Amino acid sequence: MADNTEGQQQTPGGGVVKMEVTAPTAHKTPETDEKSMDKQTLMAVLQFLKKNNLKGTETLLRQEANISATEDVEPSNTEQDVSSVLSAYSSEGDPSKYEEYYNNVISFVESALDRYKSELAQILYPVFVHMYLELVYNGHETEAQSFFDKFHGIQEEYHQEDLVKLSTVTKKEHMKSNELMINFRSSKFTIKMSRDSYQLLKRHLQDKQQSILLDILQEHLYIDVFDGLPRSKQQIDATAGAMTGAARREANKTKVFYGLLKEPDINLPIEEDDDVGEGDDKPKKKKVKKDSQMGKKNKPDPNAPPQNRIPLPELRDIDKMEKALALRETMKRVKVGSDNMPSICFYTFLNTNHGVSSVEVSEDSSLMAVGFADSQVRVWPLTPKKLRCVKEADELMAIDKDADDVLERIMDDRSATDSRTLLGHSGPVNATSFSPDRSMLLSCSEDGTVRLWSLQMYVNLVCYKGHNYPVWDAQFAPYGYYFVSAGHDKTARLWATENHQPLRIFSGHLSDVDCVRFHPNSNYIATGSSDRTCRLWDVHTGNCVRVLTGHKGPIHSIAFSPDGKHIATAGIDKTILLWDIGHGTLIGRLKGHTDTVYSLSFSKDGTVLASGGIDNTVKLWDVNKAFGEVDTDEITNSTHITLSENTNYLLDSYPTKSTPVLHVHFTRKNLLLAAGAYSA
Amino acid sequence: MAKDKDKKKEGKEKKVKSCLPSESMKVIAESVGIDRMSDEGLTTIAEDVTYRLKEMTQEAVKFMTHGKRKRLSTADFDHALKLRNIEPLYGFQTSEHIPFRFASGGGRELHFYEEKELDLNDIINTALPKMPVDVSVKAHWLSIEGVQPSIPENPPPVDRDQQKTESASSQTLSKPSSKDVLPPALVGLPGPSGGTDNNTKSKSKTNVLAETTSQVKVKSLVTHELSVEQQLYYKEITEACVGACESRRSEALQSLSSDPGLYQMMPRFSTFIAEGVKVNVVQNNLALLIYLMRMVKALMDNTTIYLEKYLHELIPAVTTCIISKQLCLRPDVDNHWALRDFAARLMASMCKKFSTTINNMQGRMSKLFDKSLQNEKAPLACHYGAVAGLSELGPEVMKSLVLPRIKFLGDRIKMATEGPVLSNVDKIAAEHLKSLILKHCGTYLKLTRKPPDEIEAYKQEFGYLGALLCANVMKLRTQPTTTATNVAQMQRPTLTLSQTASQPTTVVKLVSTSSSSSTQKVLTSSSGGKYVVMTLPSSGTPTQTATATVTASSQPSTPVQKSPITSGATSMLMSLAQAASAQSPVTTSSPAAIGGSTLPEANTELKMPKLAPISKPSPATSQQTTATSANTTTVQQSTAATRTTTQPTSPVFKTTTPQTVTVTVKKDNPTAAKQEPSSP
Repeated sequence: MADNTEGQQQTPGGGVVKMEVTAPTAHKTPETDEKSMDKQTLMAVLQFLKKNNLKGTETLLRQEANISATEDVEPSNTEQDVSSVLSAYSSEGDPSKYEEYYNNVISFVESALDRYKSELAQILYPVFVHMYLELVYNGHETEAQSFFDKFHGIQEEYHQEDLVKLSTVTKKEHMKSNELMINFRSSKFTIKMSRDSYQLLKRHLQDKQQSILLDILQEHLYIDVFDGLPRSKQQIDATAGAMTGAARREANKTKVFYGLLKEPDINLPIEEDDDVGEGDDKPKKKKVKKDSQMGKKNKPDPNAPPQNRIPLPELRDIDKMEKALALRETMKRVKVGSDNMPSICFYTFLNTNHGVSSVEVSEDSSLMAVGFADSQVRVWPLTPKKLRCVKEADELMAIDKDADDVLERIMDDRSATDSRTLLGHSGPVNATSFSPDRSMLLSCSEDGTVRLWSLQMYVNLVCYKGHNYPVWDAQFAPYGYYFVSAGHDKTARLWATENHQPLRIFSGHLSDVDCVRFHPNSNYIATGSSDRTCRLWDVHTGNCVRVLTGHKGPIHSIAFSPDGKHIATAGIDKTILLWDIGHGTLIGRLKGHTDTVYSLSFSKDGTVLASGGIDNTVKLWDVNKAFGEVDTDEITNSTHITLSENTNYLLDSYPTKSTPVLHVHFTRKNLLLAAGAYSA
Repeated sequence: MAKDKDKKKEGKEKKVKSCLPSESMKVIAESVGIDRMSDEGLTTIAEDVTYRLKEMTQEAVKFMTHGKRKRLSTADFDHALKLRNIEPLYGFQTSEHIPFRFASGGGRELHFYEEKELDLNDIINTALPKMPVDVSVKAHWLSIEGVQPSIPENPPPVDRDQQKTESASSQTLSKPSSKDVLPPALVGLPGPSGGTDNNTKSKSKTNVLAETTSQVKVKSLVTHELSVEQQLYYKEITEACVGACESRRSEALQSLSSDPGLYQMMPRFSTFIAEGVKVNVVQNNLALLIYLMRMVKALMDNTTIYLEKYLHELIPAVTTCIISKQLCLRPDVDNHWALRDFAARLMASMCKKFSTTINNMQGRMSKLFDKSLQNEKAPLACHYGAVAGLSELGPEVMKSLVLPRIKFLGDRIKMATEGPVLSNVDKIAAEHLKSLILKHCGTYLKLTRKPPDEIEAYKQEFGYLGALLCANVMKLRTQPTTTATNVAQMQRPTLTLSQTASQPTTVVKLVSTSSSSSTQKVLTSSSGGKYVVMTLPSSGTPTQTATATVTASSQPSTPVQKSPITSGATSMLMSLAQAASAQSPVTTSSPAAIGGSTLPEANTELKMPKLAPISKPSPATSQQTTATSANTTTVQQSTAATRTTTQPTSPVFKTTTPQTVTVTVKKDNPTAAKQEPSSP
């Protein structure tokens, strides 16, 4: 359907042939939606034939039209190469006319019925940008200036940031390297529009015969037409804001296996790590609980990916122990919610001199890693346990390898310290991540490398070079072995720890990839970017399976809900957006922060979302309510989600004295840990 | 060149359209030896450099956001340059701000950095700077089950603006607006003291809100209770303020003037002061009145308190201290004049700070003073106070209210000093009044009257005092600076003058019993409030601990070093509480078990602050609860006392004249009589 729409706009000749949409008297506008698509396509072809004086074919086609026409006019929707797109700007029009043309567009939008107005208004921004760029490209600097001055004020608030960047481009030479420029040039700005609005627009274009506007619409815009009611302003604004418009519908059509993987049976006797004092009734309780949990797990989740879709590392004994421990702690978990608020323990870093660039807490909340702007990575224990090294090789030889406590024996008590410093990077450390078994630490830095550190020897094990530009984020997969990194080179990369080259390169973002997170089932990763979109990628195929637009600024933090169904994203635009992965739709918007949000964390039962930002507050949100309000089963047409503006999901907000909140983390028992560096 | 680039960055785009002037380019070109550049070339270069700089700045901002900072640093710019494969500007990383210098001459304007020439020998020979303190981590509770503990690490629970909106909304709660939603920081607090304002009103508010919106959090109806620590703090502070030990007092006053967390206790403090003044005016206890006024002064100095809410209690108290007939037992010996002066200055600063067009405080105060001045039968002491109060209010008030009465006052002074009935008290009062008038009016007249001072004119206008005034003014004209020093000399020593005058007798309201108080009586006044009147032994045992408390809180908790949380008033009090609870009956009011709380984790596994300074019992406090649970009756008593302190809501302050005070407190005469012997 969408393809057909485009076919109508784009003649088989691609960008070279100018299509003239003359008002066809012979054809009446089709009434029904389904037929209209075909007819439109036919019309386009007929016009093309007419224009090129291919009368014989035209008459033939007209005769045949009613029988089968679609096969003949399959549009060649090939990627146009950059140079041809750039040259498309060279269309020589009278530079002084541009303002008039744009005024015409504005008056057209203004005069439209309210019902369609907001949908039609979507074209204002891309048309403005491209008109401006055309003026610049053709060397009409002063006209471009005045054009910009005159009209940049009427653009939507969330476009202003890009407009500021755009305004710096005043010369043709500047256009070659400007990132924003390249994005506008090489990718089409996507606009979603209802069929009625689209017809209206088309009719207007046919009436007015404005070649410049037509060209822009053809070359640089992709109008995604859907059937149904036109959307309201709020609905449009909810998903607008991305660098190149809204997400195309087909981008979010792929099925996503968002279910969780089946947890492996842990047959280790849990008694071995018994607590003192309540040995009697504990095992009993545990069994009951465990059984119930097993029962739940045994139900095959229809949304879960096949267990072996991604090869996962074998579970070692130590992993099983870990899982058993985690399960045990899970049982002690406290329910949190609006009537049962979690406690927050805040870790303040002192004397940092604005040097802390990242904070991370291990999943079991026993270790904390901090990346500094001066290239060091520091590890602190959060438990009274000190950090110890493994003994020297010759000392290790002397240890009885069959002893039960061999893992304890290999540690050197003399090396116990309160914190460890890892040196190796040569630029600010932008993110760190613990491996699930806490034996390794990952760090990524401005120097373009990702480093793997051993937390048993506190030495650098591997240096992964692949991103040649700053790496903004890196994270270990929930099952270990894999990790993912993202950086300034607009890609995210999947690595295996044992391989020095990436296994997958996820490319598609139009700007820096600022943050990346693994889905709990390890089959997907989510990336947030400065192009203001969040994408979900299939680790297996490397394809982008979801494009989530709606943020009005770069995305700096992502969190998956523990059940894997939802994503929360937040960033510079101070809002937190909640998404349903299954449908790829926006289901909640949490407003309240007054500055960039740098960290998000779901409580372990997925009912509360904690967020922290450089507005020096930790905020708690009742996401259960947010999820509950939208019945995801009813979502059929993705364009018709209305977010209630009034409901307040904020549970509470806790200001710190003068400490930006760089990290929030729920422990397994739902205690919230937050951390930040004191800035006087 | 490099330097200049950096320089341009600093003055980066404020406006979108800003562009570097071509003159800058010319200067830069000249600085590298290129003399002749065409204007066209300069413009082109300027435009291009502008574009590059803007682009680089946009890149640099990315590094800033990933460094999780709000301020762009030179290092960010270096990284951005590196990203573009440009050699970074080495050596420009400075933590300090280097200001631009400006020079102009010959029609050219220049901005430049001041670059001093340094002798390397000097640098080599200077001692190495001190090692910076190492980064450290410090943990504290940001929130415990949704309640933010008021510890020094956390910001004050409610800042002034919030207190203001709170007090405002409690008056205008006609309809449930968004204003009525509590500021997040307050939700869950056990009834912030605003809540005590009007239980009845907030009750109706609750009902209204409950009907309309269920999501809105409503201020809970619990009576406002102070936590154990706050009770202790309150007790220590009030005891110290009115006690015998001067050093303790100054520490307590220091705490009152700087501690950010006093908000909760403010209703108590203001009532303490108001009641204290009432009682001590009757008893003519000058020393205590002075102490109470110093408390008012300290509270005035505290910037975190929204004092407007308590003016209705404070203003009558201060006014009483200015114009009361009798403030001390022996008016002929005691220096109650100093108190009147001090209180008058206090009132003036209050008027300056809080007077608005709505409350018209200054006008009402001057009217009040004027009334007292007009009363011809009033004793000279009253007139003294009135004159002092009015003169402090400024020259306008002085001109319209004081000067016309000087003649009358002169007559009275004449009567008192030269009249037939010579009472010593009157004589002294007359002397003081005379010097006061001379001092204030002298300075005023000096400024307003034209130099030729003629005794006759003065006599004509001011009667008896005319000659003296004239002489005074003439004297002042010759030595203009002496007045200021005179004033200072007159006031400072007198405040400490009566330290030894009396035994510390205190009226402590609603403080629960202390183990060290020797005698105590519970009285019921006509208003139904309970007063615990107690005399402290002059060598009180808790002195030491209290001193510690006050010193700690006087440094308002800037986290500078790694230390367990023991700095700061409240936390110190916590330890006090634990120590005290072993013997004293002060304990938490609800010793409920906290099953399923998240807190046990703190004790068992995570290295976390062991403090839970909230009225809710936490593991830390639960031990003492069990230890002292025997003494629940006293707790009942104290809470009962707490409940009776209802805070009058109307901001309209009623001026309590000394006469009415006498009436109210006369019922308490037994105690008053009992304490009589305590004063020497």
